[in-house]
Amino acid sequence: MASRAMEVAIGVPALAPERAVTWPKRTRARLSNGLEVILAEAHSIPKFHGELFFRSGNAAVADRLPGLAEMTATVARTGTTKRASRQIEEDLRRIGAELSSGAGADTSAISFSGLSEFAEPLLGLVNELAREGSFPEGEFERERRQKLEEVKMERTQPGFLASERLRKILFGTHPYAQVSPSEAQVAAYKRKDLEAVYRELYAPANAILLLVGDFDSNTMLKSAEKVFGGWAGKKPDSKAAAAPPNPRGRRVYLVHVSGAVQTQILAGCHAITRKHPDWVKLGLTNSLYGGAFNSRLVMNIREDKGYTYSPRSGVSALRQHGYFSVSAAVRNEVVAASLTEIFYEMDKLRSVPVPQPELADAQNYLSGVFSMGLATQDGLLSQLSTVALNELPDDYLETYRQKVRALTPADLLETARKYLDSANMQIVVVGDRAQIESQAALFGDLEVFGAQGARLS
Amino acid sequence: MNRFHIEMESTKLANGLDVVVAPDSTAPVVTVGIYYKIGFRLEPQGRSGFAHLFEHMMFQGSANAPKMQHIKLINSSGGVLNGSTSYDVTNYYEAVPSNALERVLWLEADRMRALKVDDENLKNQRDVVKEEVRVNVMNQPYGGFPWLDMPPVAFRNWANAHNFYGDFADLDAAHLGDVQAFFKTYYVPNNAVLLMLGDVKAEEGIALAKKYFADIPAGAPPPFADPSEPEQAEERRGNVEEKFGTLPAMAIGYVMPARRTTDWCAMALLDQALHGGRAGRMHRDLVLEKQIAVEAGGGIDDLFGYNGPTQMTTRILHKPEYSSQQTLDAFDAVIRDVRENGISADELEQLKVKWRSDYYATLEGGRGGYLPKFGLMHLLACFTLFDNQPQLVNTILEGFLAVTREEVQSAAKKYLRNERRAIVFRTPIKAGVADSAGKKEAA
Repeated sequence: MASRAMEVAIGVPALAPERAVTWPKRTRARLSNGLEVILAEAHSIPKFHGELFFRSGNAAVADRLPGLAEMTATVARTGTTKRASRQIEEDLRRIGAELSSGAGADTSAISFSGLSEFAEPLLGLVNELAREGSFPEGEFERERRQKLEEVKMERTQPGFLASERLRKILFGTHPYAQVSPSEAQVAAYKRKDLEAVYRELYAPANAILLLVGDFDSNTMLKSAEKVFGGWAGKKPDSKAAAAPPNPRGRRVYLVHVSGAVQTQILAGCHAITRKHPDWVKLGLTNSLYGGAFNSRLVMNIREDKGYTYSPRSGVSALRQHGYFSVSAAVRNEVVAASLTEIFYEMDKLRSVPVPQPELADAQNYLSGVFSMGLATQDGLLSQLSTVALNELPDDYLETYRQKVRALTPADLLETARKYLDSANMQIVVVGDRAQIESQAALFGDLEVFGAQGARLS
Repeated sequence: MNRFHIEMESTKLANGLDVVVAPDSTAPVVTVGIYYKIGFRLEPQGRSGFAHLFEHMMFQGSANAPKMQHIKLINSSGGVLNGSTSYDVTNYYEAVPSNALERVLWLEADRMRALKVDDENLKNQRDVVKEEVRVNVMNQPYGGFPWLDMPPVAFRNWANAHNFYGDFADLDAAHLGDVQAFFKTYYVPNNAVLLMLGDVKAEEGIALAKKYFADIPAGAPPPFADPSEPEQAEERRGNVEEKFGTLPAMAIGYVMPARRTTDWCAMALLDQALHGGRAGRMHRDLVLEKQIAVEAGGGIDDLFGYNGPTQMTTRILHKPEYSSQQTLDAFDAVIRDVRENGISADELEQLKVKWRSDYYATLEGGRGGYLPKFGLMHLLACFTLFDNQPQLVNTILEGFLAVTREEVQSAAKKYLRNERRAIVFRTPIKAGVADSAGKKEAA
């Protein structure tokens, strides 16, 4: 490796003493019908942000059809017993609000923001969408056709093709393997199936309402009780799917896209959930590896070698399982060279303790960025929802920085050995087979798939 | 109605550097930005893409902070950083815990004073930029559509019409001499504004600006080519191939009125009427009601952030069973309706409430997403560099809230005319995929 020697900066001002980071007080309440409510005041702008989460998403109903919770959320916003689609959209605009509905693997959500002066009408509309969705036939049909075009479109995007393939490999028959329905599955969606999902999952005992913004918590809580208090419904049965087998041995999966002028690399392995005691350790290890601009991988394959624009690594935590992954879109000639560096940096973290100054830098980075969540209403909402949905301890926000700062080089070495599982990484490359197959095959047994999902060899 | 007021203080240093401080101690975080008044519009001819390539070079080393140190020093202070190039400005910004403010100012001053880069840095970043263009444009379905496809069709002045990301031949031709010349010409304190927002007191911010920036010598006033366009008198059309996607697409752009005029305010509300999400007329008519399009949106890109010719552009992806002409006819019906009938008092009222709400959201976070006060920084910078009035951030909303129905309709009649527009068709080279089970469903 012909790396340049690192030079140091001269005359850099020292950091001033840190100002204390004070997370706002959270008000937690449970309404008479069992709905859990969490509020936090943030008076940066005269607005507020909210999420009505349901603790069930696509995985909970995957045995029926993939993506069914997402489709349910999509159609739920298109009509209620009181308002037609156009009325809903105009009423939102009338109060200056944004609203979206969707579902991931583990949750369904109605997300919204609006002017504080119109808080109650907005909560009223959210309540109506959560309880009185009418699933109009025409809207369902239109959204279903729209979805068909979306799933066709996804298959032309290298990033989608890579993550879809990786999830299939890592999760096998577990519902987490399904990131998107096929066209045939969308064609099989029925209005009554959506209504059934809606009746089962959209219940107060399965929900959590988070509100952050420019309001008085007591007043807002009264509004919430007034709006949502009459909502009844029982908690749906939840069944956990059997744990997926953890793939052993490095293997390569090539998704062929004819004429691709670049190759999307995505490699991953099983890791942990946010509740796991190693979570903070893995977060810091990831930050050193490829989770920050200043990380080893970015400095290597971008700033030193110029192979790629946006390399990164991350830990994706789903509720039951998590996985670690690393990605880079690289020019076709350097697929093998990039993979070599990706594994080199992983193996180095697994074999050589991180020097103390580099560790301190990464600790500062992670704890500083964590506190940025304080500065905006949606940033704070996102932190609060992470805590609530993962059932993390109440003092998670307050103690996170201390936990990061307490870690040692030995902790990181151990963590890298456990979770940056280079010998068992599953490697996906999306690109033109003729240009990259021989390079990719250097890294393990290789299978080739088409963009539509069929195995080509 | 709540009125939201941004506290600020501004000054100009002796070397011409504008400084704006907007204190807010809500969180122990400070956002620092430097905006230089040069973007890709006025980059040198024969060097398309150079303003953006140059932006990358600003992270490659300065006199006292060699390569990699700039990024390392910000990240290791607990902060994030980035830069971006647009039509008329290039920005560099950091959000850091407020105890790192002096360090950030030192770094920004160091690279304003003396960029220190070599051929190896240039080769490295040229490679990185090419991968950026591939990942965002050449290897993506509808990549660069319409922001890169529209200018050569819509405009006649090279400044407005060239490839802003850069032809690879031009990127290859760029050499270190170009980098130093561009730096010397445009990256002078008298062509920039420094912004500090968040956990910093006004007097402290201004004192620190003086401490770190006052001794950077002013440069000659930078030359700016004339970006004006000859008056357009005919509809313009162009075609671009779509290599990966299977849906036919089109973009229709209308030339915008001059900044900060009544027509401009009216067009901004008209833009909201046409492109404001699911309630917007384009999405409602083309996607929800007629169901011709899969996507119909767009609008004015960065209303406050341009200082030369620009357009309001609608981007449409439509179902293959509708021809381009049928789709354009449906689009034209929406335009005709607003020209002939204007908008109702009730609709205008809705638009104004939404506009105000969106404006507040922009001030808090805005386009940066993860970066607190990105939007406020952007507005203060543009109002300083283009208008010399950062306080506009507290008053500009009034102009939009004062727009009348008559003004909206008059703007529609004046600006939404075929001879003021350009259309780009992005046509798939391959038809829909054959094995699709749901194919007939899309009829």
